[in-house]
Parts: sequence; structure tokens; C-alpha cells
Amino acid sequence: MAGLRINPSLCIGCGLCVSACPQGVLVLEHGIAVEQEGCILCGICVQTCPVQAISIEKEEILHENQQHSGIWIMAQLVGDGSLLPVSLELLGQGLRLAKERGCELSVLLAGAIDLQVQCEQLIQAGADKVYACQDASFDTGLEEPYYTWLTTMAKTHKPEVILVGATDWGRSLAPRVAARLRTGLTADCTVLNIDPETKLLHQTRPAFGGNLMATIISPNHRPQMATVRPGIFPLPAPVPEPKGVIIPCELKTRIVPLLELLQCETERSGRTLADAEILLIAGRGIGSPKNLKLLQILAEAIGADWGVSRPLVDAGWAEYQHQVGQTGSTVAPRVLLSFGVSGAIQHLAGIGRSECIVAINTDPTAPIFSAAQMGIVGDCVEIIKEWLKQIEGDSRVES
Amino acid sequence: MVNEFIKLEGTSLESLIRTMDDSLAEVLRDESRNSGRAESVSFPKNEEEVLAVLAFCRSQGISITVQGARTGLAAAAVPYGGHVLNCSKMNQVMGCRQDEQGRFILTCQPGVILSEFKKAIDQKNFRTTHWSEASQGSFEKFRKAERQFFPPDPTEASATIGGMAACNASGARTFAYQSMRAHVDRVRMVLTTGKIVDVRRGQAKANGRSLELSLLPEGRLMLDLPTYQMPKTKNAAGYYVEDDMDAVDLLVGSDGTLGVMTEIDCILIPHPAFIWGVSCFFPGEQEAVDFVIAARRQVAGLVALESFDGNALQLLREQRLRSSAFSRLPHVPEDYGYCIYAELHGSEEGRMLEALKRLGELAEGAGGNPESTWVARNEADLALLQFFRHAVPESTNLLIDRRKQVCPVITKLSTDMSVPDDKLRDVIALYRRGLAEVGLESAAWGHIGNNHIHVNLLPRDEDEFGRGKALYQRWAEAVVAMGGAVAAEHGIGKTKVAMLRSMYGEKHIQEMRAVKKAFDPLQLLGQGNLFPVEGGAQQ
Amino acid sequence: MDPVTNTIIRDGKQSVINPYDRFALELALQIKERLGGSVVVVSMGIPATARILKEALSCGADEAVLLSDRAFAGADTLATSYTLQLGIRKMEQRLGKFDLVLCGRMAIDGDTAQIGPELAEQLGIPHITDVEELLEVSQERLVCCRLADGERQKVSAPFPVLLTVNKDINQPRLPNIKGVLWAETAPLHLWNAAEVGADLKRCGLTGSPTQVVRTHVPLREQECKVLQGSVVEQLKVLQRLLKGED
Repeated sequence: MAGLRINPSLCIGCGLCVSACPQGVLVLEHGIAVEQEGCILCGICVQTCPVQAISIEKEEILHENQQHSGIWIMAQLVGDGSLLPVSLELLGQGLRLAKERGCELSVLLAGAIDLQVQCEQLIQAGADKVYACQDASFDTGLEEPYYTWLTTMAKTHKPEVILVGATDWGRSLAPRVAARLRTGLTADCTVLNIDPETKLLHQTRPAFGGNLMATIISPNHRPQMATVRPGIFPLPAPVPEPKGVIIPCELKTRIVPLLELLQCETERSGRTLADAEILLIAGRGIGSPKNLKLLQILAEAIGADWGVSRPLVDAGWAEYQHQVGQTGSTVAPRVLLSFGVSGAIQHLAGIGRSECIVAINTDPTAPIFSAAQMGIVGDCVEIIKEWLKQIEGDSRVES
Repeated sequence: MVNEFIKLEGTSLESLIRTMDDSLAEVLRDESRNSGRAESVSFPKNEEEVLAVLAFCRSQGISITVQGARTGLAAAAVPYGGHVLNCSKMNQVMGCRQDEQGRFILTCQPGVILSEFKKAIDQKNFRTTHWSEASQGSFEKFRKAERQFFPPDPTEASATIGGMAACNASGARTFAYQSMRAHVDRVRMVLTTGKIVDVRRGQAKANGRSLELSLLPEGRLMLDLPTYQMPKTKNAAGYYVEDDMDAVDLLVGSDGTLGVMTEIDCILIPHPAFIWGVSCFFPGEQEAVDFVIAARRQVAGLVALESFDGNALQLLREQRLRSSAFSRLPHVPEDYGYCIYAELHGSEEGRMLEALKRLGELAEGAGGNPESTWVARNEADLALLQFFRHAVPESTNLLIDRRKQVCPVITKLSTDMSVPDDKLRDVIALYRRGLAEVGLESAAWGHIGNNHIHVNLLPRDEDEFGRGKALYQRWAEAVVAMGGAVAAEHGIGKTKVAMLRSMYGEKHIQEMRAVKKAFDPLQLLGQGNLFPVEGGAQQ
Repeated sequence: MDPVTNTIIRDGKQSVINPYDRFALELALQIKERLGGSVVVVSMGIPATARILKEALSCGADEAVLLSDRAFAGADTLATSYTLQLGIRKMEQRLGKFDLVLCGRMAIDGDTAQIGPELAEQLGIPHITDVEELLEVSQERLVCCRLADGERQKVSAPFPVLLTVNKDINQPRLPNIKGVLWAETAPLHLWNAAEVGADLKRCGLTGSPTQVVRTHVPLREQECKVLQGSVVEQLKVLQRLLKGED
């Protein structure tokens, strides 16, 4: 029977799990933690226990995994037919994983246009195989024909791993495929590894709102699926001697989608936070929407972009397009100034590729400092106000 | 000269007392939109530094204006010359104890900000490393206890505890929980003489109108308290005095005229299990007032009854379209002519539902509709209703700011008057008559449960501004005649000095002055607050 | 998290309805106002979740379903979508076939955004994610506007279909007094695994392909230079950094 297991010989009776349990089902009896009715298997106690005395065990159901082999990347094209960078970023990681696993790296690509150029690009980047399907069925930006094709291919060729970029398209397609294949999917991974002992794909992502990374596995179901946000991994370097093959695929019957794309237009500004050269980010420490406004004024005055960490979007102080972090934009500016951001892992995941990060926070123990090259322990609003005052002073002098 | 004064550790007097310059210009203003002048400023971090500043000013005969976060609306914190003593760096919660009833009490420096204080109480998160062992022990109990709550809720949550104590702040929940005074258990106050008053509730009580206060390190103050009877309404006008009163109650609400508070003990209570807010909409004022009169008698668990008149609602409708910051405001349908916000606190859901049901029935009985209501039962929804309520004064301020650009003389004209319960209909009739006669634009909102409505006059030009001020003065006289108070929550400060005089008369004003002189013989502190300046100190 | 003990603080705060779901609910109520029909809210969770479903009922939903059972505990998105689908199928026995399923784009605790598409797959219906606006609704189809990967798409779908909606697409209404009182006795069905005919191998922890194998606090090797001095001095350093000096 699946459930919580507390090892009494390891338990030191510290009671941390008792405080951490959101349902209040753990108590200390005779100095050992004991579970009462009502456990919802959230796993917080497992993570809290300093001596790993708690685990969640489940029934093992044997699956036929031996025949699954190969790492697949599901590539995505943009409107003009070019490959999205995230597909190449995943290809780069995929090659490393394939080497560790001792298997092939294949890319799946579908579209209504001629795919020769894109296939060449993938071969040059090091793919062992590119399965390319050109068919009028894919003459749409909607996911339906793509996930239909991918699942059919997966059932036929039995890959061990499928990776998809966590774009909006990917986040619609991947879970659909996972549900159809009755397998597991881990979203927004920041680290992927093959475990040397078990050969399982270790999918690591930030968890529980702040300072923990969770590593997730799909031990018994295949394929193991994961999505990764654009910009998390770097673009791969070209391979010196590419030797991959292109395998053209055909659809036996046209896929007729139930959904119909009536119209499609690109949103006005191509420019996003990911393009920022200088970026100011406000966290909860900014204190109020009024102060956030000051930061926006400062950004405009110095020619910088501005963004926020997630709590400010959740609170309605800024819109989602300004969110920086794991579930927002990934950024890589030359200079990133972080005002009153604590540095939850989900946020750090979005800024890690910045050239230089300066963190400003009143709390010297805030995790943001561990990700920054420079830091100021102080009131971020004071700095903004002083900066604005200087700018105002300069402009008065000039006029 | 500098070295004669109290030796400070670390900071020298020179770095403590800073000459006024442009970078410090903020301290010359407060939320009343008045602006003053000062020669020097200090930001003391502890009582020692306060004593040093006061000693210096005393030796030079320099007047002193005390400030918290400068969110006051009566210019009490605005200096007219002299020295500004700004308490914002005294922002620590210093300790925790429990009284005999088991209530938790937190000792605050005057610069503790209310919103941060409330957050820390909610999260049970204080910096306790420098606390005494006894405090740390009480804090452990506090952490293990049920969720706690500090009831005073002035709209401006960036106010400081010191400021709130100085002007006896109120908010929407004052209807049930009473104003700041009821939640202060102890005040420690430094006087300009260098002596200290440190009194806990129950320790020093007046005998009739005679009060004796011990001073630290030694000495006594013998006070003849003023002989007036305070109006039986919400009141923040002048000193709180009554027969056999507690000394703490005199110090709270003294508007920066008696001394500098360095420690204020705040009493917490258990957080209510349920907090529900309901905005009820009515066709017009008549129906809304009928509803209020019925509800405050018949609904259990009511902690606030707030009103927003048709003009206020219209301002919101316009602001919502004008500014993206206000786009989150719920749309108010055109046929909603008046809003009454009711808040319920309770410990049992069944009783909360009964109270809600009763509100619906009374609304219907008064000519409203239980379907024309917005019910908030969780934090996000309550925050939305609060955003709605706060948007009313904000929109008014923005309107005045716009008009000020065309006519700089114009400022906010907002009344702060309350009357006894049986006079509610009369005072509303008085306001409406006056507005119609003088032909001024207005918006009215406030704590209707306490018969305390802020009528905001919105003049369009200098002439209207003048007529508005005259109307306000006429109202003040009428309100006093009804047994009401002219400064129900914002205090007298400097802007309502004339009103205090018309409320109590010259004799009682002199009695108040005498009390102030006992605390502050050179009359250096808070010049211009409560009474006009008498000669004797450097301007 | 408690900064001293590094554990998650059980702060006694109540759980709330996922903010994204409120926008979905508001959209459902607006469609009902326009075209009629009934709105059912479905959730899988602990018994205390009933309070949240009551909130939805008080806003104008007609019925609610809470799927609650120990067997459902520990579910990942595959097991959750399986269970939700069972609840919906059982509800169809009462009310007839559904036309539209609305979900918030993601949950703010798990934030995978997987439930919508997975549930659609379990139900065998098409899905559209990232919906911003409903442009047309008739008895047979709908046309919606979707914002995905920087493209604004106009998509037409036949019923039945599942939509996931973005934040801030509308202003969720607050309930009124009448609605709150009505919700106290409104139809709120509490169904366990047996009542929905669940295959226990596909529910809860047992039915979850994914599991957490370890958690750790990440090591940081970044050397952070803390700037000293006054605000003005610190600001000078920042300004030089921006110019590209240092």
C-alpha cells in the first residue's frame, strides 16, 4: 500500500516535520515522529527531515521498459519556417545525455513547408537522426496535428526520452502527448542528467516556492518526458564531423484537426525582456506599486528595461509580460540590477545567464546574493530615489 | 558647546543634528499638503539620542517639531521654523510581554510602521536577538499561541505607531474596536526638560481632575486637568480628559505637544476566525441611512460601517476609466447610488451567516436589494474591497491635484466631524442643505457607523475655495451645538486650531495650555499644534 | 519558509481558489448569462476544499463536485487528470453531456500548466490553451482568441472542447448575499474512488508515473562583492558598471 514511511531508527525526534506538515498529521510520540490520519502525500516532510528518515513508498508496477531506446527532441518552427533556438538548446543537452546513456539523439520535425534547410541545420548541430515529416496537415500553428504525429511516432519507435521546449506551443503539446502515452512529464526543468547507476533521466526543477531543487524521475513509464524553458541551456557549438541522417516520414492519412485556425497575427513588439541589455528587476522588497512606478521611471531615464519577480505579478502590481523567472521570461542582460528580490530558485533560474548581477536587499542572508557578483545590503528604494534625484539634478543643470 | 551635552556612544552631536538642506526637504511636508520650514533635522535611533537632541534644543531655545511618517492630515508634523525631530529611524519592536489577562503586548519604538508591524504579527516574525530574556520567553509563547491581531486600522497603513499614538488614530474598525488609545497599555515619553514619563495603564490615575505623574530619574508633575466635558462621540480634538482618568489616556492623542514618545506598548488580541466584508448598494442616501440606523442596532459582529455617497461612486467610475492603476476596480453600475460597507468579525461560521442574512433583510427593508451586494470572505476579495474603499480618497486627491495646477490656491477641504447617534439624520441634512446653498461640488464618505462622515469640498476656483472654508466653519459651529466633535479622528494639529477654540472656548484652551506648560515649560515642542504660538522661543 | 529552521511554515492561512481558475469561472458565468445552461465546478482535493467550491457556487455556479479519497492522494498530473475525468463523466449521468470545460492556465502552487491538456486527452476532446477572449459562442461552436508564443490566433472549435484561460481576461465577480446564503444548501457532491468507478492503479500516488527522488538546496559558488560606503558612493559604482567601466 502506497504511503508515508517513517524510519524509527533514523528519526532523531527533532520535530521539524511536525511543524512543516501543512495538514498537521505528524506528531511526536516517545520522541519519534508518527503519522496520523489525513496524510495527503505532499512530500514536504520528506524534504524537511534533516536525516532522511521519511520517505514515500509506492507499489512497484513492472513495465516493459527494456525495448525503449533513444533520446528525442520535438522541434518547433516559427511562422517563417525557421527553427526556434530552444530546439537547438535542447539538442545540445540531448547530445550530452545521449552520450551518457549510450544511445542516439533524434530530432522530430514536422511542417507543411520544405524542411531541407532545417534538417541540415539539425544535422550540423549533431543530431544522429532527423525524422522529418512534410505534409499539408501541418499547415497550421495549432498543436493538434503535431501531437497526433508525435504520439504515433513514439508508439512505433519507442524512444526512452522525449524533450520539448516549454514554449506555449510546447506546453500545450507535451502534456497531451504524455497523457496519450500514459507517461510522466516534468515541466520547466533546469537540469537534466542520466543517473549513472539507474540510467534514469534525472529531471531537476525548482520546487516548493523558494529554496529547494527537486529531482524527479519516471522509473516505470516510458518515454520519460520533460520540458525546458528557452534560454535555460546555451546554444550548442557546431559539431566538427556531423554524420546524422535525415529520415523522411509520410503520413498515411491526412490529419484533419477538429480545431480551425481562422486568423493569425504576430503581436506588435518583437522586443522582449530577453533582449534587454540593462535590466532592472523589482521584487517584493520594492514595497509598493508606488515604488515600482519609481523603478519604471528610473528605467526609462537610464535607457533600461524593467521586470519583476513573480510575487508582484501575482499581486497584480505588474503584468505577466514583465515577469522574470522560471515561469516568466528568461533573461541574459549585460547588467542586471535586482531591487528587493529575495532570490527564490524559480527566479534565479530565469536570470542565471546574466553577465553581471547586482543585488540590493536589506537582508544580507537573502539567496539572491549567492547568485550575484556584487551586492548592496540596504534599502533598494533609497537607492532608486537617490538615483532619480541625481538625474533630476542633472537635467536641471542641463536646462 | 557641543561637548557639554550628553555623551553619545558612536554618534556625535554634530552628525546627529543636521543642518537643513534640499536633500532633506521632505520633512517640511505632511499629508495635509502643507509645507513649512526648519533650520535643522535629526533622525535619532534611540532614546539616548532623543535626549541629546532635546538637550541641545533646550539650551539654544530652539523649537522642536516631532514627526513619524508624516502621514498626518492636520499639519501636526509640519515645522514652522526650528528643529525637526524625525522618529523614522526608531523603528524597532523592542520587546514582548503578557498582561494578567494573558494578552500579548509588544513594545514599539515610535517609528515602527503600521503595515510592517501588522505583517510581523501575522507572520510571527520579529528580530528578537537584542530582546531581554523575559521578552524572548514571552515571544516563544506568542509564537505558539493562536494568530494575533492589532485592531487599529487607519487607512494610511504607512503611518507610524508613534504618529498613531500622538493623534489617537482611527480607522473603519474603530466602530467596534475603538481608536488607538484603547490599544495602548503604556507610554514612555521624553520631555523637553530631560525628564522621562513612563506610565503603564492602571499605575497613575487622576483624582477627579487632579493628576500626579512621577518622573524619571526623579520628580513629579502635578497637573490640573482641563475641566471641559468631551463630546460623547468619536473625538480627537484636544487633550483627552475626564474624571479619575488614567494618565496613559492623556498622553495618547496629545498631538506632539507634551513630549517625545520613545516607547509605546501595543496590546494585541486574538485574530478573529472569520472576517467578512460586504459592500451594499442603495438607490440613494435616504435608503442607505435607514439601513445604517437599523443595522447598527440589530446586527451582531459588526465592526465597521462605512459610507460612500453618489458623488464618491461617480468619481470612482471616472477614475477607473482614466487610469490603468485603477482598472482593477470593480465596475459600479449606474443605478448604484450609494454604498455602505459593513465588516463582520466572528468565531463561528453559523453566526456569521446569520449576521449576513440579517444585513440582507435590513437592506431590503430599507429599499435596497440583497443582490446588489458584494461579499468578500477571503483575503484576496477583502483586499479588493479595501482597494475600492481607498480609491475614493485617492481619486479625490488626484482631482484636487489636477485643479491645483490651474489654481494653486486650492487645497483639500475635508471635514472631520462627528455627532452623537441620535443626530445622524440631522447632520446629514445639515451637510446637504449647506452644499446646495453654496453650490459647491463635493464627495462624502466615511465612518457612518460613528456618525463621522468626511464631506470633501471640491472647489473649482479661489472664490469657491473661500466659500467652502466659510461653510466648513459654519458646520463646525452647528456640529458643536449638536454635541459633536470638530476633529473626530485627524486631530487638531495646526490646521484646526481655530476649531478647537470654537469647540471649547478660551477658558478651556488656557487650561490645556497650562497642562502643556507643565510638561514643556519652555513651550518648545509642537509649536502651533492645538494652540497658537505664544512668545518665548526661537522661530 | 522559516528562515531559522528552514522548514515550511504552517501559517494557518486558508487555502484559496487558484487565481487563474477564478477567471475561468467568471468566463463560465458570463457564457451562462448569455446562452443559458448550467455551470458545474469540479475539484479533486481534501474535504476542506468544499469551502472553496461553496465560494464558486455563491458566485453563480449551479452544482459542484468534490472528488475526495485517500486513494487520490499524492497524484501527479496524469493521475489527477484521470480522476477529474471520472468525476466529469459521472456528472454527465446527471446533467447530460457537457459542452465546454474551462480551466485556469495553471495552478500557482504546482505551476506545470499540464492539467488542462491532459484532462482534454482523458476526455478525448480537443483543447485550446492560453485563451484571452471568447469572440463568438453559439450552440454548436465557439471562436476564441489565443495568445501563444507572441502570436494572436483566432481559433474556432466545435463542442465539446476544453479551454485553458489566462489571467486578467475578465474581472471575476464577488458573490452577493443571496448567492452566499443559497450556496450553503446548493448541490455539492462529494464522491470517493468507488463512487466514480476509479481504477485504483491509475489514481493517486500509485497512478503517478513521476516521483521525487531527492531534494537539495543548490550549492552556490558565486563570490559576491558587497559594496560599502554611503548610498551615493554605492550608486557611483552602479553607474560606472552601467557605462561599461569596471
